[in-house]
Amino acid sequence: MTVVRDVVTAVLLPAGAVFCLLGALGLHRFPDTVSRLHAAAKAQTLGVLLVLVGAAAQMSPRHAPVLLLVALFQLFTVPITSQIIARTAYRTHGLDRDRLLRDELGDRLARDGTPVDAGDGAGRDDDAER
Amino acid sequence: MTGPTDTPRRGRRALRHLPLVVWLWILWILLWGSTGSTGPVVFAGGLLVAVAVVVSFPLPPLQPGAVPRPLRIGRLLAHLLTDIVGAGATVAWQALRHGRRTSTAIIEVPLRVDTDLLITLVAEVVTINPGTVVTEIDRRRGVLYVHALPIRDERDLARLREEVRAVERRVARAVGHSHGPDDREPAPGAPDGPQEQSREGER
Amino acid sequence: MTVLYGVTLTVLAVAGLLTLLRLVRGPAALDRIMALDVLVTMVLAGTAVGMIARDDTTSAPVLVVVALLAFIGSVTAAHLIEKRKGMR
Repeated sequence: MTVVRDVVTAVLLPAGAVFCLLGALGLHRFPDTVSRLHAAAKAQTLGVLLVLVGAAAQMSPRHAPVLLLVALFQLFTVPITSQIIARTAYRTHGLDRDRLLRDELGDRLARDGTPVDAGDGAGRDDDAER
Repeated sequence: MTGPTDTPRRGRRALRHLPLVVWLWILWILLWGSTGSTGPVVFAGGLLVAVAVVVSFPLPPLQPGAVPRPLRIGRLLAHLLTDIVGAGATVAWQALRHGRRTSTAIIEVPLRVDTDLLITLVAEVVTINPGTVVTEIDRRRGVLYVHALPIRDERDLARLREEVRAVERRVARAVGHSHGPDDREPAPGAPDGPQEQSREGER
Repeated sequence: MTVLYGVTLTVLAVAGLLTLLRLVRGPAALDRIMALDVLVTMVLAGTAVGMIARDDTTSAPVLVVVALLAFIGSVTAAHLIEKRKGMR
């Protein structure tokens, strides 16, 4: 029994750590905020989930559910955070729009008469101004 | 122990709170984590706190006529697990291979589901899925705007649109309306009609 | 097993440093919020590994609190940024 648990941990912990590393790498290599969000929301989350499950496998049955609970909360909250950050990023020019192959949200906003870029760069969200 | 159950209406309303009470109770017991001599105190205290929380902070009813189907929910969760792994791998590969030159797009996907609960669930699952993050939810029109990551041509766009629709179908089947949203025609620019209906349902 | 924990923690530490770099470089406030969120989840993972390495699980409930606080913090900060932009 302990052998099975050890194998599970030995596989999941390094795999999770590697995905965390790749997520952090994605934070650096992707060109704009929303693309970086992909790295944070997916690779990173997968990494943390794997590490948490791998750690839970080593714990007593009394404490393991707490770690699984943390994993569950991550799974539910990460999409919400990502959506709010993505939405705000789009509205504060955190997105390199020339790079988009297609921007149907921009098309829709233009049709509604409320395009995001009223006066280029006016709403740009850099900290420099603050 | 909770409210009186003399009238059937009150009884049903109390029953609706039951899952939340049970969930909070389990949470309490898990976090205390003690089963020794203090066990009974923790159990009783947990139930008390759970009921107190649910009674003093009432939540709006989720969705009238939501019918959870255990088997379909199981299938949805299985899909979800494989998708989490796939999503992590896809993004990691993109970061390694393309990095700065990744091409992306934002696509518009009209939804057929029209209740708050289902739209929220679809948006959550789409964000967990490989390569897609929901950027904007247009609640009035019932449209999701999805930022998608490795997009090279029109075919990728079509494929992603189809994937979002597949997610929507899976979610709708798992906790869908009793009269099945997938029977209805998609209503692209339309109406506040069904929305109204879902609002007043529970009264 | 000790080697395994050591390797995992080292890789996590490198990932944390990379994230810290993004936190410092920005450029937008949203990037920083995101990086901070990622950093907190990495600390979460690291703490979990540390717990099993030292065989001491007393701080497990703290992880739940930290995870939820990080969520609320990020959401609030993102909202603030959107508000700030709207007021201008």
